[in-house]
Amino acid sequence: MRIKIEKSPDKDIDYVKLYALNLNKNPRLFVQQKKFIESQIKSSRELFKKRFGRGKEFKINAREYLRNIGIL
Amino acid sequence: MEKGYYTENSAIIINRELTELDLFLKDFLEVLKKHSDYLVVSGFVSISTGRTRGTEDIDILVPLSDEIKFKELFEDLINNGFWCYQSDRYKEAYTYIKNYDNIRFAKIDEMYPNIEFVPIDESRKAKYFEFTHPQKIKIKDFEFKIPPIEFEILYKELILRGEKDIADARHLRYFFSDIIDKNKLIKYEKIIENELK
Repeated sequence: MRIKIEKSPDKDIDYVKLYALNLNKNPRLFVQQKKFIESQIKSSRELFKKRFGRGKEFKINAREYLRNIGIL
Repeated sequence: MEKGYYTENSAIIINRELTELDLFLKDFLEVLKKHSDYLVVSGFVSISTGRTRGTEDIDILVPLSDEIKFKELFEDLINNGFWCYQSDRYKEAYTYIKNYDNIRFAKIDEMYPNIEFVPIDESRKAKYFEFTHPQKIKIKDFEFKIPPIEFEILYKELILRGEKDIADARHLRYFFSDIIDKNKLIKYEKIIENELK
């Protein structure tokens, strides 16, 4: 799916406008968004399972990590 | 011609398939709604309407409850496959809630996405205003409540103001340009400005 560009975007924020306007006219662009979101979730799930293990072990390791990054 | 969204009986219907992120929120709300009212706010409002960016959490405003009601909710969430970052014990989690500190829930053996559970009451005026003026939004069979679009735009532009928030607001302004009510923007700006005083 290609986005129709009438004027080339200048700054990053201009791409947000361009995408929002095109998405409004063409919901097929949502397919790309779904792929992007699900790819992030899948990567995160695999990364943290490898790093923290499962069950009780996962929670112990996850909380230690959260304390280290200042969330807990 | 197909459009990205349409409105039906005052609900905004987004014309797309459900994502895994939607299903995560849906699972959480199915438990939460048995115990409490809620409002989904912030980044997920933009993401659920098409803003393409990564996210780690979904913010949900929840009215402050007493400890007994919180215990029932907490235990129901645990029994339905969620874990709380802060504690496995409801009493300890409640010490955060009663101090208006946020807590987070994720699915068992997962870190992200997570729900950022934000306790509110009437003292948090802007948050309470959006909480009491919900907008229904629907994606396929999943309906949930968000703030008025105009309020969400202004909150991001005037209060949060980070680069990500400005981009989220810009997305909402253009995606919903057909339905944004200028009078509401003026009205809500005054409410949000009061929050800044």
